[in-house]
Amino acid sequence: MKNKRIQSLLVVLIALGLIVAGCGGAGGDKKPAAADNKAPIKIGFFAPVTGPAAADGDSVTKAAKLAVEKINKDGGINGRKVELVAYDDNLKPQEAVSIAQKLTTKDGVVAAVSGSYSHTTRAAAPIFENAKIPMIAAYALHPDITKGGDYVFRQSFVGTAQGKAGGYVAVDMLKAKTIAILNVDNDFGTTLADSFTQYVESKGAKVVSRDKFTMVEKEFNPVLTKIKQLKPDLIYMPTYSGTGAQIARQAKELNLGIQMLGTEGIDSTMEFLKVSGPTADGIIITTNLNRNSKLKATQDFIKDYTAMAGHAPDMVAASTYDCFMVLAESMRKNGAEPDKIKDGIYKIKDFEAATGLIKGYNKLGEVTKNVQVQVIKNGAFTYYGEISDPAIITPPDK
Amino acid sequence: MFFQQIVNGIVVGSVYALTAMGATLVYGIMRILDISNAGAYALGAYISFFFLLQTGNPLVAVVMGVALTAVFGFIVQKFLYAPLMDKSPNVALIAGIGLFIFLQDFLRLVGGPQARELNFGAMLPSVRLPGLGLTLYGTWFLILGATAVLLLVLWYLLNRSTVGLAWRATAQDLETAKAMGINTNRVVAFNFILGYGFAAVAGILVGILYNSIYPMMGDVPAYKMLAVIVLGGLGNPLGTVLAALVIGMAETLIGGYVGFFLPRDAIAFVVLILILLWRPQGLLGRRRVS
Repeated sequence: MKNKRIQSLLVVLIALGLIVAGCGGAGGDKKPAAADNKAPIKIGFFAPVTGPAAADGDSVTKAAKLAVEKINKDGGINGRKVELVAYDDNLKPQEAVSIAQKLTTKDGVVAAVSGSYSHTTRAAAPIFENAKIPMIAAYALHPDITKGGDYVFRQSFVGTAQGKAGGYVAVDMLKAKTIAILNVDNDFGTTLADSFTQYVESKGAKVVSRDKFTMVEKEFNPVLTKIKQLKPDLIYMPTYSGTGAQIARQAKELNLGIQMLGTEGIDSTMEFLKVSGPTADGIIITTNLNRNSKLKATQDFIKDYTAMAGHAPDMVAASTYDCFMVLAESMRKNGAEPDKIKDGIYKIKDFEAATGLIKGYNKLGEVTKNVQVQVIKNGAFTYYGEISDPAIITPPDK
Repeated sequence: MFFQQIVNGIVVGSVYALTAMGATLVYGIMRILDISNAGAYALGAYISFFFLLQTGNPLVAVVMGVALTAVFGFIVQKFLYAPLMDKSPNVALIAGIGLFIFLQDFLRLVGGPQARELNFGAMLPSVRLPGLGLTLYGTWFLILGATAVLLLVLWYLLNRSTVGLAWRATAQDLETAKAMGINTNRVVAFNFILGYGFAAVAGILVGILYNSIYPMMGDVPAYKMLAVIVLGGLGNPLGTVLAALVIGMAETLIGGYVGFFLPRDAIAFVVLILILLWRPQGLLGRRRVS
């Protein structure tokens, strides 16, 4: 009897193990591409298609497909087609590591794009570095990601730059003197809140409170009630759309009447704007997608993405799309081998992309471009300002 | 501010009580920690969302969400848990976790990964009492009202009806109850129907409260409800209500006065550990005599 019990327990465990293992890879066995000139060029990609960030995973996967389609429609890379090798990392670092290993050893990709968050991208970055395969992080913002070596690049602002830009908006543009911070408790929220604090305090403003929460939190009434008593001029909230939408709604219900400043984390048309509805009006964010930009690359991207997805794009989609465009630009000009792609990215100057004019990449692989400030007006992200001050937007190079 | 925080705490506690009640009922009889109940919580919200889109009628949406999820509970009991009854409880626990993961991914594939709005809270305006510095959300009345009514009905069912008698007998000793002529199969089935119905009500109300439902919405309830059940004394409905209010109030007051120096869930678990150190059997659990 007891044996039978253990047996059945084992069977269940093995079955579960198989299920978990099965979830890992959607790619299957892929042999490295032959080095002939007709074979498609493979670009690796990973994103949190399942798990708590599945909405972002969905956005970036659509953007990656759109980008590859566009590159191929424009003639591919000097006649060769580009092929996407995409995986789901479930927002788990261990998954990201095994995906990076698969991409660099089995799949024969010449470059890769991370459409995932900071902690997963950080785990995967050293593997690409060691394999000498260039990787661009689309929107992960932790400073350590690019520090491993020169094969790892970043397409959006490093957290320290965006935090500083947030500080600039708060004290220089909005003249806030007292500020409350509400940040999601992970790499993203902590990096932004820390560099924001550093900047605003250096300008003489005061951070009166700092509260943190997990990315699945929904109940902000206790902490907003507390903040209401402190009467700050501004609330800075580096967090994502799910939590950000609840902060917006509950602040409105509590009649808070305090200006709120968000980040690219709530730059989400589906999740943030729809759930928060009219309560989001007036919230200002720092991001890299300027919806009112005159750049053709931006307007084309917004049009194509909307036609494909049935809704307007968010910044994670735009950043991911740009990674592929940068890779394509580098490959067209410099060749489609990993080393040449890497060198080509460093040579890029003043490249028109969906997220604005890319001035170039520094020796760490950090991008330099203007920070966009958008305000939510009548349920849509709209131009509020643009930060081009080199003191704010220049990323660190060590 | 004080009154506001007390009301905040009561609302949070009521939400926990509702959420944990389904799993408490199942644990009370089956001695299984039924994780898939948190899947039913999300399922109920999604079914309701579907019918709201189709019919535009909130009442139809709620009734269908609860009814179909209750039917799902019956199916789960009949085809998943009943065959595993004579196996070790670990088997049932793992099967429940498996079903929970399946449900989450099923909802993601069918409903999409984005959070959707369960928007029938808009018709309930907030009430402001500036004298007390108090804001009462319209949806709070709905939550508190529903919790109170459902718990009264449950209390009546358990303590004042024949069904409740059979239920309590089955919970105490299934074999003896069976020998006394109680149709324990039917009791167990009814238990699941009610437990999953409760989960659906909780999921729908939370969806309305936060105007959002998403495939992973059962994640936090899956572990939070365990905390509430354990603290309440494992399978004791009254204990669950008490524990839910204690945890809700502790989180809110600590969060509101000290701040979220830790994420709220972490505060809740610190409180849980402290109370369990003092009362290992839970708030209303009976100490087991060995």
